[in-house]
Amino acid sequence: MAYEEIVVKKPLPLIALPCLSVAAFLLFWEWIVVSGTVPSVLLAPPSQVFTVFMDKLGNPNPDGAILAVHAWTSLQEAFIGYSLSLLVGIPLGLAMGWFRIVEGLIRPIFELIRPIPPIAWIPLTVFWFGIGLTGKVFIIWIAGIVPCVINSYVGVRMTQPTLIQMARTYGATDWQIFHQLCIPSALPMVFGALQIALAYCWTNLVGAELLASDTGLGYLITMGGRLGRPDIVVLGMVCVGISGAILGFIIDCVERRLLAGIRR
Amino acid sequence: MGNNESHVKIRVNNLTKRFGDLTVLDKICFEIKTGELVAIVGPTGCGKTTFLNTLSKLMPATDGDILIDGEEASPRKHNISYVFQEPTCLPWRTVRENVAYGMEVKGIPKKERMERTDRIMELVGLSSCANLYPNQVSASMMQRIAVSRAFAVEPDLLLMDEPYGQLDVKLRYYLEDELISLWQKLKSTVLFVTHNIEEAVYVAERILVLSNKPTCVKAEITVDLERPRSFLDPQFMEIRHQVTELIRWW
Repeated sequence: MAYEEIVVKKPLPLIALPCLSVAAFLLFWEWIVVSGTVPSVLLAPPSQVFTVFMDKLGNPNPDGAILAVHAWTSLQEAFIGYSLSLLVGIPLGLAMGWFRIVEGLIRPIFELIRPIPPIAWIPLTVFWFGIGLTGKVFIIWIAGIVPCVINSYVGVRMTQPTLIQMARTYGATDWQIFHQLCIPSALPMVFGALQIALAYCWTNLVGAELLASDTGLGYLITMGGRLGRPDIVVLGMVCVGISGAILGFIIDCVERRLLAGIRR
Repeated sequence: MGNNESHVKIRVNNLTKRFGDLTVLDKICFEIKTGELVAIVGPTGCGKTTFLNTLSKLMPATDGDILIDGEEASPRKHNISYVFQEPTCLPWRTVRENVAYGMEVKGIPKKERMERTDRIMELVGLSSCANLYPNQVSASMMQRIAVSRAFAVEPDLLLMDEPYGQLDVKLRYYLEDELISLWQKLKSTVLFVTHNIEEAVYVAERILVLSNKPTCVKAEITVDLERPRSFLDPQFMEIRHQVTELIRWW
């Protein structure tokens, strides 16, 4: 019985269809504005957004900074907040899943904090940290930590009980079972958390910037609104969308590499 | 006496397990000699799995002793292996790493681990798929991985809980032969639980027949037949009939 590795080619429709749907979406969008179905004061067509994009690459007016500065500010805040939430949330969730003491101590506090929308922390963070980087990082951290803890916790809890029994009969210690069995079996859930936390962080970042900041993509959107420039608003939204999608894609690639055995 | 004593590997005295008022195991006593392959059969629901779980120390016994080489059994001290009914491969490890897992837990040095893994995989014909992941091989392969992993730690006691119960008949015959040859080559002490009487008579040197709940050892039958055994051998059929009569509940 010989087993060989088989390479399966991706069928053409799977490559072609996403391109088609994006192209159709852009054409439709352009058409409804150009044809006058939606007045151009309310929505900018993609062609105009593209023009503004090219312009904003080098022009700080009318909102005070070029696009790269806005994007850089947002990415920085998101990256720090996101990393901190993974760093704290995942180990905490994993430990809560396996060690009863940790669960007993942390769970009640966590359950109380979880239902509070991260945006509700904004007034307090403005008192504590002002409108600089730290306050926004804090909001993003709060937003991202929730899915990290929950998914890691559930992931550990879902470890197949017979696997644990099997390890016990070989005399494995609690710690061995935790890091040799529970953590690997929680990994698919943890990677799910990376995606969800990213989405939470990114949306709450924009929320935080809408209220209190002086640069960033969220700020760009607010300024566009105040100045009555739908093209700038849409540009900000498109940038948030595209950069979020790229980050998601990167995480997806990493996941596929690491979880070869589980996902195949 | 002394010489006879040294042959006894496992000694179970008055093993009792109660869940509240329900007595599942009632003063079970038996002995297994070094290198013996003993099968345990019993009517459905007689507590075979509870029996194995208590023996393997996954579950505390209410009363009684389990002695391995005259010492109280403990998974940390003794090599106990357990092959479960359902496949227990770790999906994130390759076939090879799965076979080595038990030895890894036991802290066997890497070099020896590799040698033993290679040897066992050669014996059971897993070498060709050593680097595949469990979800790329068939269900019977997964069970062979579990059996190899169990034999690889050179267990003092190998417990098997209907390992081939979910496989089709042809494959089961094949794997039973494989089990016998592994056992003969590695000289392990095996306790094989099954509800299939034919399987028990085919593989075992001795059969312990369990009673209905509260479970105790109802009878002990020595299977003194030449190997390879034949299902059509009159002696084989006689023993099978004898065991069937003992556990029939209808």
